[in-house]
Amino acid sequence: MTTVLSARGVSVSFGGVHAVVDVDLDVEPGQLVGLIGPNGAGKTTFVDAISGFVPHRGTVTLDGVDITGSSPHSRARRGLSRTWQAIELFDDLTVRENLTVAAQHPSTLATLKELFARPIPLSQGIDEALEAFALEELADATPTELTQGQRKLVGVARALAARPKCLCLDEPAAGLDAHESVAFGRHLREIVDRGTPTLLIDHDMGLVLGISDHVVVLEFGQVIADGTPGEVRSDPSVVAAYLGSAADELTAAD
Amino acid sequence: MATEPTLQLEKLSAGYDAAAVVRELDLYVNPGEVVAMLGPNGAGKTTTLRAISGLLRPMNGVIRIDGIDIASKPPAARARDGIAHVPEGRGVFFGLTVAEHFRLGHRGEQLDVDAAYDHFPALAAIKDRRAGLLSGGEQQMLTLGRALARRPRLLLLDELSLGLAPVIVERLLPVVSTYAKESGCAVLLVEQHIHIALAVADRAYVLSHGEVIIHESAEKLRGDHQLILSGYLGEQETTATVSD
Amino acid sequence: MQDLVLFVLLGLGAGSVIAGIALAVVITYRGSGIINLAIGAISMVAAYAFWALRSDFFGITLATVPAIVVVMLSSILVGVVSELLVFRPLRTSSPLAKLVASLGILLTLQATMLLWFGSASKQIPNVFPDDILQIFDTSIPANRFWMAAVVVVISLAVGAVYRWTRFGLATRAASENEVFAMLAGLSPNQLSMVNTLLASALAGAMGIIAAPLAQADSTTLVLFIVPALAAALFAGFTSLPIAVIAGFGIGIGQSLMFYASTLSWFPTEQGGNPLPGTQALLTFVLLVVALSLRGASLPTRGELVEKRLPEAPRPKHLARSAAVFGAIGVVLLVVLPFGYRQALMLSLIGMVLCLSLVVITGFVGQVSLAQVALAGVAGFVVSHMIVDAGIGFPWGPIAGSIAGVVVGLIVGASALRVRGVSLAVVTLAGVVAIEQFGFASKRWGAGSAGSPVEQPSLLGFDLGTTASYRGLDGKLPSPVLGFVFLACVIALCLLVAQIRRSVLGQQMLAVRANERAAAAAGINVARVKITAYAISSFIAGTAGWMYAYNFGSVSAARFGFLIALAFVAFAYIGGITMVSGAVIGGLVATEGLVPHFFQELLGISGNWTLLVGGLILIVTVIQNPEGVAGTTYRKRQASKRAKAAADVATETMARAGES
Repeated sequence: MTTVLSARGVSVSFGGVHAVVDVDLDVEPGQLVGLIGPNGAGKTTFVDAISGFVPHRGTVTLDGVDITGSSPHSRARRGLSRTWQAIELFDDLTVRENLTVAAQHPSTLATLKELFARPIPLSQGIDEALEAFALEELADATPTELTQGQRKLVGVARALAARPKCLCLDEPAAGLDAHESVAFGRHLREIVDRGTPTLLIDHDMGLVLGISDHVVVLEFGQVIADGTPGEVRSDPSVVAAYLGSAADELTAAD
Repeated sequence: MATEPTLQLEKLSAGYDAAAVVRELDLYVNPGEVVAMLGPNGAGKTTTLRAISGLLRPMNGVIRIDGIDIASKPPAARARDGIAHVPEGRGVFFGLTVAEHFRLGHRGEQLDVDAAYDHFPALAAIKDRRAGLLSGGEQQMLTLGRALARRPRLLLLDELSLGLAPVIVERLLPVVSTYAKESGCAVLLVEQHIHIALAVADRAYVLSHGEVIIHESAEKLRGDHQLILSGYLGEQETTATVSD
Repeated sequence: MQDLVLFVLLGLGAGSVIAGIALAVVITYRGSGIINLAIGAISMVAAYAFWALRSDFFGITLATVPAIVVVMLSSILVGVVSELLVFRPLRTSSPLAKLVASLGILLTLQATMLLWFGSASKQIPNVFPDDILQIFDTSIPANRFWMAAVVVVISLAVGAVYRWTRFGLATRAASENEVFAMLAGLSPNQLSMVNTLLASALAGAMGIIAAPLAQADSTTLVLFIVPALAAALFAGFTSLPIAVIAGFGIGIGQSLMFYASTLSWFPTEQGGNPLPGTQALLTFVLLVVALSLRGASLPTRGELVEKRLPEAPRPKHLARSAAVFGAIGVVLLVVLPFGYRQALMLSLIGMVLCLSLVVITGFVGQVSLAQVALAGVAGFVVSHMIVDAGIGFPWGPIAGSIAGVVVGLIVGASALRVRGVSLAVVTLAGVVAIEQFGFASKRWGAGSAGSPVEQPSLLGFDLGTTASYRGLDGKLPSPVLGFVFLACVIALCLLVAQIRRSVLGQQMLAVRANERAAAAAGINVARVKITAYAISSFIAGTAGWMYAYNFGSVSAARFGFLIALAFVAFAYIGGITMVSGAVIGGLVATEGLVPHFFQELLGISGNWTLLVGGLILIVTVIQNPEGVAGTTYRKRQASKRAKAAADVATETMARAGES
């Protein structure tokens, strides 16, 4: 099977600062890949690059098709859906409408028909996504009426509603309480197992290491470790990246 | 008689759009004490600092400075009362020079420039350069220098290490703890690099998902690596999730 | 060559005033993030006051220096009062609400001056010597140099204040990041106030020194705000020196354009006069070029609260609302006496204009002030079709609407990357250019007179204002044209409501909320914006030909700059995100049903209408920062929620009683 998402040699610089340096990353079918690293390590910039929001060097292929030069909206329509660290829901739209705009892209003709005659039948992806996160009852609420945790879930559901080939989630669990976070992990694993490969960025190491198949660790824009959750957890450079430069002695004392 | 804490939070709840990020938080910092607030992203550390400096209106609970409830004061008034909040990212004005940062102040305020240059001699050499042209480390030095030059009674530091090599922060923080001991200033610092934070702190709170899960002396935490690792890296949660 | 030098030097005069007002605009923006349209109006107040104090109007005549002092103090007073009563309550409202409020101040000041001093213009007393200088063998009045010198000295002084004083430092810091400034103990309210003092004093000074080129009247100095805004936009609303240089540049450019129009090669219109409005066109073109070269986003202020447009709820019960609205409309058109009938028809036209703003501003968040000008384009096309080609209803209006769409698409395409307040300024310059270059031209528009429009008829039925059916009172205008208007309004209201319910409308709101997130959701942002411009221009074009048929002629005055601003205000007050808001906006629009009611019942007319209108505008914006329709909607939602909660409680209690 073809690799779903493949980034090769992706680099991003702002002025003279190298935010992401030569990162390779693959998401295989059926896989949940975790991307972790300290604050400011370049994780979000990497996602911005592969989703087309910042100019970058290197290549990005989706399902074997090179999408490197495409605009953000066409990458999204080809099946690369992403969420944002800060929840960027459309506050003026209901939950269902939020999902609709991501899932449906009617042609001009279809739009005219909708204005003057009949509604466009809603895509199944919308109901599936609502169901996946048990959001059916909130479908007609507006985002401002929801809790932080529910808003986060709607953000992920919106990305999922487009039935993407690959899902990129930037800190979906930040701001969730301990219980919500565990439940979220379970939902996400089910989504991946039902056939949506996913790249997950999160600071909740428990969450990422607990549910990922494969984990990539970034520090100062570079990959410092790459492997199964078990391998990554015991990697001294990873512990050092999180605890500070003198952490070696800390792990050594363990 | 025990001294009154400089900062006291009682059952503080705060968040955005009616969604609480921090729930019923109790916390205190004594004069001259350095207290670290640790925990993963989204645990509510920044939210707590924003509530203390007035950028965020708490939903519930009381914030006392030297025993006085400050609920009714806007952020600028709290700053004038001696709360210095160094926000996440770089708390500098890119268009102003280093020297101008020390001239900037509210009416009647005279910043102790000499003290700042004493703490960070490197700043004196670049005093006519615009903050936007400084390196990340220099900018953070400037932020911290300016905060100390205000001679605050409560200093709030949010992730000084963001985007910096840990070694730079290891050099910045000892200045803070020395200042606290000498002046009696209370310091509450948020830091993602646990080791660095514990090296200068007297006590630490570990937050997870908006609640305090560990409150210990820094000395104890420095000695008990397993405790902090489990609280921070979520080792226990991991097992919970896997066995789910 | 001599002439060239002469006109460059003469241009210093207008350049000085533009530069000074531009400086005041930038100072205000840096101090508080407000684009204050009323700054030119403060200069106007100063000019009137200076005249009054020097010519025994109040029973005393002051010497020049004391008069200047009093004038400056009154300008400052005007600034402080508007800061305290208007802008401070609106601190956390959307930029559009502030823009509308500043328009309210502008109108209020205009009306006050007219009521106080009458409509005859006054000669501003001269403060400069009357010498004539000989330079390169040409004679140039020395006052131009004095004006330039005053503005340059003031600019340098202001620059020094910002560079070296603690207040200047604080303002620079706060305009870069308001949150960090608060953390440094700086109070945004205080900074905003001091900057307002400075800006109003400066605006007042411009009113005094403008004597050689302007009189104290209700429009000349007020309109200097347009080139001044252009200069401020060149400076990104940030750089003081660039604003001043751009101000002088625009003044000199306009003077040179005037010089060019005296030369033989300059294109002329009928009658051999040079084409009018080329100066306004020049400003607009320079602005578009500058924006496309250096990007258009204004610096953000790092504010605590993100300021959004009001919410845009999904409309319900379309058929029922349309039927009720239609029935009331028909009855009113038949029953109302002719004065009210005419006012209702103008309200219907106003509703259509407001609807076009609901689509482009309410749904997509683009603050376009060009909609009234697009209506004008359609109106003039209808007139020219019938006059030049003999083509009437319904082909004329169709062509008019299409012309509106074409011009609208040009505006939209050239403004794709321009957002927010920059877009408002660019489109404002565009409106002035279209008005002066297009509508006022004999070649394309109607010159200073109106251009006639023949009454519409279809298949032998007269649909015009003189149709034989005359309603209950049997007077003109005939309700028949009103029925046509009513049908158009209902159809367009349904269209806009359908848009909000459709995927297209949801895409528009997604773009308005967050362009980045919209792109990530697979939405082609550029395409959505262009579509919205097309639809909104079509609606505006419809309003244009409605005007033409209603008055039987079209004239430039109907589609001018102040009217364009006023309609944004009406639409905003009504509720710029809702169809019902457009209906309210139309009812309160100039000469519409509500103002007519005031005029008839309370005897408020002429300049008093202007004054009351300006004050009501201010009060309404402060009371309803989300528009009347928005406030009503929210209240209804809240009471619905409260009722639901009460129902649950009763039910629970009932159940408890049963068990």
